[in-house]
Amino acid sequence: MISRVEIHPGRYHDSVRLMQASKALQGVEGVSDALVAMATELNLSLLADMGFDMDTVIGIGPNDLLLAIHAENEDAIAAAHGALEAALTPKITRSGGIEAPDAKTIGTAAKIIGANVALLSVPGEHAFVEAMEALQDGLHVMIFSDNVPISQEITLKKYGLEHGLLVMGPDCGTTIVNGLGLGFANAVQPGSVSMVGASGTGIQEMCALLDDAGVGIKHALGTGSHDLSEDVGASSTLQALDALDADPGTELIIVVSKPPATPVAEKVRRVAAKCATPVVVTFMGETTLEEGAGEVLGMLGLPRPTYQSWEAENRDHRPGSVRGLFSGGTLRSEARHVAGPILGEIGTREQDDGHTFIDYGDDEYTQGRAHPMIDQTVRVERLAAAGHDESVGVVLMDVVLGFGANADPAAELAPIVEQVVGAGAAVVVSLCGTKGDPQGRDAQAGMLNQAGASVYLSNAAAAIEAARLATTGSSS
Amino acid sequence: MTAPAVETRSTPASVRMPGVASTAIRDALSEPQTPATVLGSTSHAVWLFADGDVIVASTRDATRLPNGVEIAADAAEDVFRSVRHGAPATVGLGQVLFEGLTIDVVRWWDPRPALRSTSATQLAEAIVDLPATVPDLVSQPLSAALSAGSATAILVAAESLIGRGPGLTPEGDDYLAGALAAIRALGDALGRTDTAPMLDSIADPLTQLARSRTTTFSAALIDHAVGGRVAAPAASLMRALTGRGDIADSYEDLAHVGHTSGPALAAGMILGARSLLQSQPHFNGGKR
Amino acid sequence: MSDLSQLLDTEPVVTTAGTDMLAASIEEQGTAVERADWRPPHEGTEEALNVLFSDDLMRDANEVAIGRMLAVRPQLAGVKVARDVFPDMTDRTFLHAGPPLEWERASGPMRGAIIGAMVYEGLADDPDDAAIKAARGDIELSPCHHHGAVGPMAGVTSPSMPVAVVTDAAGEGVSYSTLNEGLGKVLRYGAFGPEAIDRLHWMDEVLGPVLSAVLENRGPIDLQSLVAQALQMGDDGHNRNRAVTSLFLREIAGSLIEGADAPLDQRRTVFDFIDGNDHFMLNLVMAAGKLGSDAASGVRASSLVTVMARNGTDFGIRLSGTGDEWFIAPAPPVDGLYLGSFTEEDASPDIGDSTITETVGLGGLAMAAAPAIVGFVGGTAAGAVRRTLAMYEITMSEHPMYQIPMLEFRGTPVGIDATRVVRTGVLPQINTGVAGKVPGTGMVGAGLVEAPIECFVQGINALAATLQ
Repeated sequence: MISRVEIHPGRYHDSVRLMQASKALQGVEGVSDALVAMATELNLSLLADMGFDMDTVIGIGPNDLLLAIHAENEDAIAAAHGALEAALTPKITRSGGIEAPDAKTIGTAAKIIGANVALLSVPGEHAFVEAMEALQDGLHVMIFSDNVPISQEITLKKYGLEHGLLVMGPDCGTTIVNGLGLGFANAVQPGSVSMVGASGTGIQEMCALLDDAGVGIKHALGTGSHDLSEDVGASSTLQALDALDADPGTELIIVVSKPPATPVAEKVRRVAAKCATPVVVTFMGETTLEEGAGEVLGMLGLPRPTYQSWEAENRDHRPGSVRGLFSGGTLRSEARHVAGPILGEIGTREQDDGHTFIDYGDDEYTQGRAHPMIDQTVRVERLAAAGHDESVGVVLMDVVLGFGANADPAAELAPIVEQVVGAGAAVVVSLCGTKGDPQGRDAQAGMLNQAGASVYLSNAAAAIEAARLATTGSSS
Repeated sequence: MTAPAVETRSTPASVRMPGVASTAIRDALSEPQTPATVLGSTSHAVWLFADGDVIVASTRDATRLPNGVEIAADAAEDVFRSVRHGAPATVGLGQVLFEGLTIDVVRWWDPRPALRSTSATQLAEAIVDLPATVPDLVSQPLSAALSAGSATAILVAAESLIGRGPGLTPEGDDYLAGALAAIRALGDALGRTDTAPMLDSIADPLTQLARSRTTTFSAALIDHAVGGRVAAPAASLMRALTGRGDIADSYEDLAHVGHTSGPALAAGMILGARSLLQSQPHFNGGKR
Repeated sequence: MSDLSQLLDTEPVVTTAGTDMLAASIEEQGTAVERADWRPPHEGTEEALNVLFSDDLMRDANEVAIGRMLAVRPQLAGVKVARDVFPDMTDRTFLHAGPPLEWERASGPMRGAIIGAMVYEGLADDPDDAAIKAARGDIELSPCHHHGAVGPMAGVTSPSMPVAVVTDAAGEGVSYSTLNEGLGKVLRYGAFGPEAIDRLHWMDEVLGPVLSAVLENRGPIDLQSLVAQALQMGDDGHNRNRAVTSLFLREIAGSLIEGADAPLDQRRTVFDFIDGNDHFMLNLVMAAGKLGSDAASGVRASSLVTVMARNGTDFGIRLSGTGDEWFIAPAPPVDGLYLGSFTEEDASPDIGDSTITETVGLGGLAMAAAPAIVGFVGGTAAGAVRRTLAMYEITMSEHPMYQIPMLEFRGTPVGIDATRVVRTGVLPQINTGVAGKVPGTGMVGAGLVEAPIECFVQGINALAATLQ
């Protein structure tokens, strides 16, 4: 048995609180008796009654906090100290009837809810400070914002790596962790396939293709569009890959990206090859998302489905080039990759002649506006313009569904599609979404189809159909 | 989709909110709408009985149960305040409706913990410091039955535990549920091929037994436990025991659930783990 | 490498800053989310913030600095004469509140207090004579803060005045303050009439020596413990000091009755003086604050605000990481309630070192502890609580000893972080008295004021510059 008396000079607590603390201490295993009190005459006499050595308390007074413990061993004393601090540390609560002011910083907001992830969409030039504070507070960070200087991205990712925290982004559109989607994300079923990707829409399309084939998703970790650049060197992608490899809920991993810099691609492949978990690498430009999904299904022993399409009834259209109006960068890349061999040259800028596939999610078209997956104004306008442009024979566009996206994109697009088709051009839609998405995928498809568009769940299939229509002049 | 008319005497306007549900009750939630009854409610949860299934709607600060539908509100928001015992409810087509509340299930979670494979030595090391008994319960028959892996003996031991103790989930039920869930999940993690078939063989008789001897809610949880479907803190402890997360922290979290439920569930799980080790071929039982 | 299990083994709990759509999308998924009401940092601080957040240097430094601020154990050790404790003080030296100041730029109450102190010291025959001499440079002005001292309102400290000596029971630091004169026509509010001067003489002849004898008899008084108790009795440590002054009287009562070597009538007048002056403890609480402030000063890269002080003309702050450098902006007007027939027309801009209390987690930051104060400074009890709650956003810690009953005994917000001020635009809240702008007027009211943002913007940029 050990007896310990400690004095904390000048540490004041009210007596009720100290009584509660004494009770808490007495409940600690190995503590046979304990007193926490201000050192008043009365309390000192209690101390003497409890059989403590009074020599240690000479010269202390009622403004000093007294802690006395009889315990079996040092461990119990240590546990008692823990219990004391717990009992005397106030809990943060929203206090009686008075609304606390709203949190002004990520750090404060995180404490209120006990967050482990900070999701930032502040202007890019301000993202660094908030992200760094979140990392310093031990939060994983997803940066939806773009226009964050690459040097800041490198600093953040280095810091994250050193501290076991994942930095998703900047320019990270999509992440799903255990079914909860952050940013633009589709409703998926729980499962054991995970993915990591530098591309938001790539992840979304892969989710949609797998979900339609009955495959559940565990995690989908976005790493941001610059992660596979040579400067960043796939820092977050490799970190996520490692983590997914160690995740007992993940049985298969998919890497999804636009074509990365060659040395980075090689590095990713090297790490992927070392994983204990099977990894499917889908770099657009080398393959398609549908191909990648097919490979995954093969490994899971599942048949490759024929992805659903809603063909337009009347597919006669005027001759002309294909105009691609995309909201997802990766979908644009993939479409260009598969349509290129059929169409030849495809421009990526509006001023280019001939076939053009434009990414309206690019900074150039989002200054002062929300992303085209939310705000379709620019694309609706360009769609209408394509109808009036006699040189356009086929319009190819993506429509991305899911949480975070426009609540009813088809309702805005359908009347314009009708005009364009009425003007003689064909409209082909790549519809990216799952059955569980809040917009109602099949209803959206039906509405667009009704307006005269051909709708495809596979982006590659949509692109091939658009190219085919343009090259054959008219459908058979 | 339109919901059938629901009696809404005290709450005229229907409040809709999104919810997240366990895949263990996906079938019940996905089927056409069926009538249900409110078994009980607190500020944290509402228990519904629907055609043989028990479904628990709960706030985000309540323990996530294997048969739960969780909403984003916390208990302090008091969204369940006007829910009456015995009130009619409806379950199905992705919705749970009761007393003017409509929960739309928009997302799912899987209540079976995904565990890292482990070895007997690692598992023995992980549980060495954790208590495996509940003072008021006689654990020996269950312990012996589990170690022997005998389905009959487990059912006999279960008979003496089920319904024992006070509360919505009697202590004996939680203890048994913890043990069986641990054997299902940790047995898989150990690569055991004998445990799952044994549990499958007792699932039906155990369900019958539980339904006749304990509360409807508790019987449902035993049913889920045999299938390895557990409350979130129990899943977290099993993950920790197999090398993901801090064992002491997750044990504490589980031990603080409810009045007696958490400690009994935890003790049952440790008992399950120990009996797995005792019946493990070529293992010395963890004695060091 | 990390396994990120803390991220991957549960569903994320998310906080957001930026577009509301992303938070709404999480709620749409049946999941709670906490939004930060984010706004861009104050213009002209972006680059400095990027530097300060580029690694853990500032965060670590802040931990050190706030740790030092909270580790001091201030105790009232003695009462001495100013000229004996300030080595640089000549017979012509007058310490004053706030950042450095010249007579030409001095406000009405500051001039009034200097005039009064010159008359009191015998350096001038009358107020007019004092004003002429002060204007032609016969005296030296120096901030209290440059001497380890603090003074309320004008803060004028002259060589003959008795000063409280506060030492650190847990360290080596020492700090000083004058003794409080009471309310009304007093020197610190710029009054210089016979009433004020006579009181000053009584203070150096009776009050100082008696208190010195009391302390000698009973030993040092733990100031932090008194303040901690007083916060639970309705004080804020700045504008309401009724409880803490009462506690102080209890502390010294025994020695005052029979321990101190002084005539009975003197002991009696000392008792009556303190009893009749609810603000007696203010100066001692300020000196206690100064001890913590000095202890926290000089930690490289720390953005902790160690000093906020005003001289009636300028408002100045200091940061730990920039040491003795002042960051200055015009002293703001006080939003207050006025005594008698006075109005805001009669008020001088903000003045005094008493903002040291806010610097160490008292005063405006602890307003939730002092609902009684709201009648005095305007506002509601709920508003007082809201003010304190808002201060947690810009502070580094919660005081381990100063607790607020209304907030479930949460510690007061303490340790103002200049980076959080410029990031959030939330300004430190100050409870203060208001002096009349015409020299000689005295106190005209009390109210609330916010520290000017410009000081923090300058400070952050200077701090970042020290790291480049």
